[in-house]
Amino acid sequence: MGRNIHCTYISEKINKIRWRPNPFNDPKQFVTGSWDNDENHIRLWEVKGFEEDTDINPFEINVLPFDGDVTELKCVNPDYLIATSNEGKVYLIKIATNITEEICLSHEIVWDDAHQGMPCTSFAVYDKDIATVGEDGRINLLSIMNKAPTRVIDDADSCTVNCVEFLKFNELITGNSRGQMKIWDLRADEEKASQIFMLSGDSIVAATCLAQHPTQRHLTAAGDEHGSITLWDLRQNTYPLNVMTSHTESVTEVQFHPDRPEHIFSCGQAGDVFHWSGIKQGACEESAWYTSTTNKYDIFMLMPQLHTTINSIDLNRDRLLCGSDNEAMYMIEGVNIYS
Amino acid sequence: MEDENLKTFLIPNDLCKSAGIAGTWMSGNKIGVFPYHNINHSSKDAPSQYTKNVPSSVFHVKHEVVLFHPILRRLVTESMGIFLNLQTVVENKPSDYKQHLQQFSVQYRSVIRASLENLRDEVLRATGEERETLQNFITIFYSVECIWHLCEILYIENIPGHVVIKHLLEWVRFHFPKYERKAAFLLSGESIGSLESRQDYWETVIGCLLQGRVEVVRALLSCHSAANSTHFKLADQILKSMPTYGVYEGVSVQEFNLRWKHWLVDTQSKIDSKLFISEKNLHLMMRLIVGEEMAWSEVQSQCEAWYELLAAWLFYTEPTVKSFELGAFAKRCISRMGTRMHHLDRVLLAAMEGDVQIIKEIQHMTENGWFVTHLMDLLYHCEQLEKWQTDKEDSLKLRHSFVFEYGNTLAGHKSLWQLGLNYLDHCFPDGLAAIELLLPRVPINDESKAHRVIQEAQKRGLSHIAHSVAKIEGLKSLRNDRMGNALVWALRSQDSNFASFLADKFLKKYVDTGILPNVDLLSYLGSCMMASDRLIFLGKYYQFNKLHKDKSYREAAKALVSLIASKFTPKFFWSTLLSEALTLLECDELLLSSNDVFNLLNAVEERLDCLCELDELEPLIRLGIARNLSRALTYEAQYT
Repeated sequence: MGRNIHCTYISEKINKIRWRPNPFNDPKQFVTGSWDNDENHIRLWEVKGFEEDTDINPFEINVLPFDGDVTELKCVNPDYLIATSNEGKVYLIKIATNITEEICLSHEIVWDDAHQGMPCTSFAVYDKDIATVGEDGRINLLSIMNKAPTRVIDDADSCTVNCVEFLKFNELITGNSRGQMKIWDLRADEEKASQIFMLSGDSIVAATCLAQHPTQRHLTAAGDEHGSITLWDLRQNTYPLNVMTSHTESVTEVQFHPDRPEHIFSCGQAGDVFHWSGIKQGACEESAWYTSTTNKYDIFMLMPQLHTTINSIDLNRDRLLCGSDNEAMYMIEGVNIYS
Repeated sequence: MEDENLKTFLIPNDLCKSAGIAGTWMSGNKIGVFPYHNINHSSKDAPSQYTKNVPSSVFHVKHEVVLFHPILRRLVTESMGIFLNLQTVVENKPSDYKQHLQQFSVQYRSVIRASLENLRDEVLRATGEERETLQNFITIFYSVECIWHLCEILYIENIPGHVVIKHLLEWVRFHFPKYERKAAFLLSGESIGSLESRQDYWETVIGCLLQGRVEVVRALLSCHSAANSTHFKLADQILKSMPTYGVYEGVSVQEFNLRWKHWLVDTQSKIDSKLFISEKNLHLMMRLIVGEEMAWSEVQSQCEAWYELLAAWLFYTEPTVKSFELGAFAKRCISRMGTRMHHLDRVLLAAMEGDVQIIKEIQHMTENGWFVTHLMDLLYHCEQLEKWQTDKEDSLKLRHSFVFEYGNTLAGHKSLWQLGLNYLDHCFPDGLAAIELLLPRVPINDESKAHRVIQEAQKRGLSHIAHSVAKIEGLKSLRNDRMGNALVWALRSQDSNFASFLADKFLKKYVDTGILPNVDLLSYLGSCMMASDRLIFLGKYYQFNKLHKDKSYREAAKALVSLIASKFTPKFFWSTLLSEALTLLECDELLLSSNDVFNLLNAVEERLDCLCELDELEPLIRLGIARNLSRALTYEAQYT
């Protein structure tokens, strides 16, 4: 493997991996959540040796046992993270430094019955608001300030909702196992989606993941189980802007680069990680995703293909974290986003 | 099997004790043991004496797999990557295929070494029983690495002319790094005072000499305070001029032997003229390098293992020894050292003798087949296995059986099941059959895992398994009263009966409650409704229902007529459908043509038997039909 790929084996399959944000946007810590193990854990890691060009070795700072599989994990801010389980629970976890200067993870709020005991599949965060979705088709609106849910939309979907994102503070988009994308206006009283459109025509293709352009929030990317990433301009959602098909199996996660959204990153069940670079010479930045011609972007494979699913990626600056089913986490340094 | 090798486990249960036990395989490496009393034709036909009020238990007996220990999981997962890469290379058969195999061997070893390192770190932290376990692992994997390295030299690495001595020395140095470390320390200049005053000086010099580090020996000697004396200088010169054999040095074996013999005679003559007698250790060294038996007897106690002595001895006495001649020399060394043969020693000897016995010995190592699987796979691809077996067919079978066993062990684990499948993929044809049995037994507790299992099945062309998993998921959804989700699973399972069954459920719910459930799904059925007739009906009915609700009565009427004409209507739904037709028939506006009405009438006549239970509906329908018909006929007569 290349010089800039660092691999660490942790003896459990990683379902989610996320940088822990810090005020300087230069995080050295990240969290992992495992799945499909006898006992699952959320682990907090720290990386040392960024500055020197030596071997980078993450070491574990703290570990929190977790009931069931971690289905989604996101940091709300540097001190709080949220995790959901396939037992239908939602946890608000605090990262705190105790008297002896040790950093510890602890449960702050547990929403036990968020999904009636059925698996919670994903959630989205907007400031202090959280929207969770699950196999029971319910959408919960929670706030990290409050244990009581803000709003519950029962039977929001007939199928399993696999992914969710906030479009605005009052608007949600969800994708389900039938391949329907739904937009929800949270101010409306009725428990019905304000818009429904299909991800991929008539056939049954489950949406697996969603990503939001960090600044132009009407620009949405959705991954599906056949390996396509579809880009939509939600101002005119009758027809997708772009369909990017390089993954051979299900797309597990897709992400716009937080600072450089002209780059999209995605990983898949076939063990591949792609970098889609939307800038080409002469092309105006940002606009790259709005043109539907395929030759407007470059595709890079960031790592030799693994033999196991890559479940999760997370980016910060030019550092990419990957978590895989081969019980290894990879850190790729120097991802080419600046040139 | 010898009796002493059998292990006995007690099942602590009274009922088991009195009745007897039986066991049955569960998934993976588990056996279910339960009280069992054998009944045969001669048994009395009476209630069993054991069915008292004692509760009977089932015990799960599990074979412990050390590979599943968290610290060894790394070995398992990382080596799988190497294994799969190797299989890809072997399939493509590039020209430098042998070199690739050697690289893979090195990669495997580096994984073992990394695990050993982890174990060593961990053992310092551990206490009590855990510590013992880890120590045990270290012993096992140390041996594994040692044997693998030797096998790599003997069977995998492509050594020209099979002159292995250099590699053997390297191997020994790798496993007995004590002297090299000491020498490095001495040479670093950190020790105070003259070197030879240190107790371990001469021990280190001789140790390095035994490991063939002539350069280091010379460096150490030059640090001796008497280094400038004649006998030291002479010794240094002898060491310097010692010929070593290297394939790429452009010297043939015969030529080398000639030079070496000459050097030997020269050195011997210097020893005989007692040039080194004043310094006893130097004298010993010189006698060693010319292979004097007495001298070797003096130093052999400095060797920890017979193979350390073997490499040293061969270096100075048989420098051009071929890999296949090692066995005989090894035996001589063993008898010389009087070693009590442990398992590791036996395996190493077998490896040197090129004995097929090695497979058996390796198999008996207690690490659940990781070692034997990967090494045998590699040896098979190096075409070494067939040299041991009588033909290629057998060696292939042998390799398959190991990979198969290992794959099965992994597949039985909750978390490593996918890895197991990857191994089973590479033992055709039993592997696929095993996968077919194993996949449906993977415990599934959420849909994302179900999707994984389905994808694994589809990758291997086992669509029937994918379908059955989908169907089970559908039934689960149904049990949770999630009909919409169940329908999606039914469509995935491509089971039209199941889809029809669900469509009926939707319709029945409508009959019962007047509300059609899961409209968000039904409105986007699209071509999926082709899965079954009943589903088409449901889809079409939904369209009619929607038009009716939206008050587009004309389109609704058209949809209704086509629904009725389609003859897909289930029996229980006729009355609902006809009562809805009634509202359209009685509409102020004329919606149905005479032709449509005839069709409707026809349908009613045909299905009188379904309607008989609804006596009050039939006359109403007939009346509606008659009135509509009259209006339609009048209208049509006027305007067409």
